[in-house]
Amino acid sequence: MKLLLCLAAVLALLLTAAPAEEGYPETVVTVVRAPEQTQAERPACFPDPSEHFVPLPETENLALSRPVIAGMHNDVYVAKNATDGKTDTYWESKGFPAEITIVLDGSRTVSAVAVCLNPSAIWEPRTQEIAVLVSADGESFTEAAAAAKYDFNAETGNRVCIPFAPVEAGWVKLVFTLNTSSRTGGAQAAEICIY
Amino acid sequence: MQKQWITLLTVLALLCALQLGTARAEGEPTRLTLYEGPKTMTSSADATVCVNGYELFVYDAMVNHEHIWNANTQPSTTPMTYFDFSGTAVVEVRMPGLDKPVESAEVLPLSRGIVPEVREGTVRFTVTEPGAYTVVFNGSVNKALHLFANPPEENVPDPDDPNVYWIGPGEWVMDAISLKDGQTLYLSGGAVLHSIVSVAGASDVRICGRGIIDGSDYPAWNQPGSTARVPIDLNHAKNVSVEGIILINSNCWNFNSYSSRNVTVDNVKIISGRQNGDGFTFQSCTDHVVTNCFARTWDDSLVIKNYSGSTKGITFRNIQIWTDLAQSMEIGYETDKGLTLDPEISQVLFEDITVLYNFHKPVISIHNSDDAFVHDITYRNITVEHAFMQGDNGINKELIEMTLQNSSWSTVRDEFGSIDGVLIDGLTVLSTADGRVPASRFAGQSEEHRITNVTLRNVTILGQPVTTLKEMKLSVNDYCEGITIE
Repeated sequence: MKLLLCLAAVLALLLTAAPAEEGYPETVVTVVRAPEQTQAERPACFPDPSEHFVPLPETENLALSRPVIAGMHNDVYVAKNATDGKTDTYWESKGFPAEITIVLDGSRTVSAVAVCLNPSAIWEPRTQEIAVLVSADGESFTEAAAAAKYDFNAETGNRVCIPFAPVEAGWVKLVFTLNTSSRTGGAQAAEICIY
Repeated sequence: MQKQWITLLTVLALLCALQLGTARAEGEPTRLTLYEGPKTMTSSADATVCVNGYELFVYDAMVNHEHIWNANTQPSTTPMTYFDFSGTAVVEVRMPGLDKPVESAEVLPLSRGIVPEVREGTVRFTVTEPGAYTVVFNGSVNKALHLFANPPEENVPDPDDPNVYWIGPGEWVMDAISLKDGQTLYLSGGAVLHSIVSVAGASDVRICGRGIIDGSDYPAWNQPGSTARVPIDLNHAKNVSVEGIILINSNCWNFNSYSSRNVTVDNVKIISGRQNGDGFTFQSCTDHVVTNCFARTWDDSLVIKNYSGSTKGITFRNIQIWTDLAQSMEIGYETDKGLTLDPEISQVLFEDITVLYNFHKPVISIHNSDDAFVHDITYRNITVEHAFMQGDNGINKELIEMTLQNSSWSTVRDEFGSIDGVLIDGLTVLSTADGRVPASRFAGQSEEHRITNVTLRNVTILGQPVTTLKEMKLSVNDYCEGITIE
């Protein structure tokens, strides 16, 4: 009788202990391994779009860090952001038409203006209408490029280049008359570059 | 003798049957999926976590113990980790990052009834249900461990589908991801993505996986040279689902939806400790359902506002909240920022909400700070485990606050709206900082702009049923009507 009781106890103990190992329940584990990396990388499913960006002249950007003159701006988006060399800051006018004038470092020969927005994909495609005017004295401006509509798209770098016949100028004025973005009622430029 | 044999065999058979029955009841063996951390990162030095004997990679997530607004606040970190499972998970935690060995621990939410074993500095407990678990050590919220025990993944998208962006394990960085109509973003467990995801004007979009979107490589949005980078940003989107992912270290809001409709969010976890780190924040949205989520935030945790048009049909269900700053469930303050005609906020449901901690402002709040008509709002089965509202310069420390008053966030300053038809059915407060019932406050604006028809039912505070406004410490001004407690 005792033998049978002992057998029963041992059997019950074995059955109880059977699924466990070191106090853990029986476990089927899957470990998702990480790839070898030495630094954070761009995901392969998002190829670098920069090869499709609108090309800009390789000559000196005459607008970089130069003073600007503009009307009222929205919120914190002041005009000097347009020449600070950074596309993660931007100028945004309060309404239209919106003028912004870049004061060059003396009289220079200019032949193109680039208007850049933040290249981030979260900037939805938009169209802005822009005219370019130049001046030798800061008071009398003549048209270098007539008003035209330009498409901004992150897939092409969110930037446009407006070429025109070379001309001497000390002041370059851009006049914005349209922005189709749903998020603002003003003109926008993260950088205005002059070549 | 024969009788004894029969008895013995019967007992033995019963033992076997019982054991086999138990085995069948337990079903399949535990299935556990673990995710290696990126090779570019190291597991947290503050915590080691094992599940069924297997060590997890532990992340350091920014949190903030400064329970008052500070534009230049400096967050600290707390450990966070995750795994997927079905069955039984024995969790073991050691905390080398604490300044003294672990002597006691508490597993939240308390409703799970988990009593951890603490032995020689190791905390051990068992979970059998997927969900979020928070472990608090030595009676302090410092370095509380957030453990996200996910259910097994389902409906994993096909990586070969041309409409699927598949991001595998590892550390990844890119400026931003913009999803278009019909696209899916899959963020695998083990992935840490430094980026933001935008769904602007798109429909039929899915974001899923177990991975992390991490904003730690950007300064707080309000610091010089920085900008707000919202990890999940829906804007005029429709038919969007977001499932399973984790958002940490955002430099601003976390999950934003603006003028969007038909959005489902499930099993999304948020931990934030930086300026304006709101959790789930919806403005002028319709038909959003948020379920099985977690939000520990350094600003409002669940937020509804009107920025451009009305809000209708928002459900938060089975959510855990830890609010280090501001309100846990906030409607307002902005209720008509877009100056629209006849703005409303209606058909909003907060159900099965557990507030693990609320440290600052009210747990439940409707601040109708513009001119909207706020109505048909329901709070059902709300449990506040630690109602520690310290307030802000002596105000806003109520448990419940409903007001029709201007604020610094008001757009409409010369007109007011109203609040009508609010039901709070099932509100349980387990503890308060001072062991007393916290005050509540309802304040209408005028005879024309009132708070009406608010019913509180099944309220229990500190173990005591609350059946009168006096017991509730609820102050009601002259411009409220139909305020009842049952």
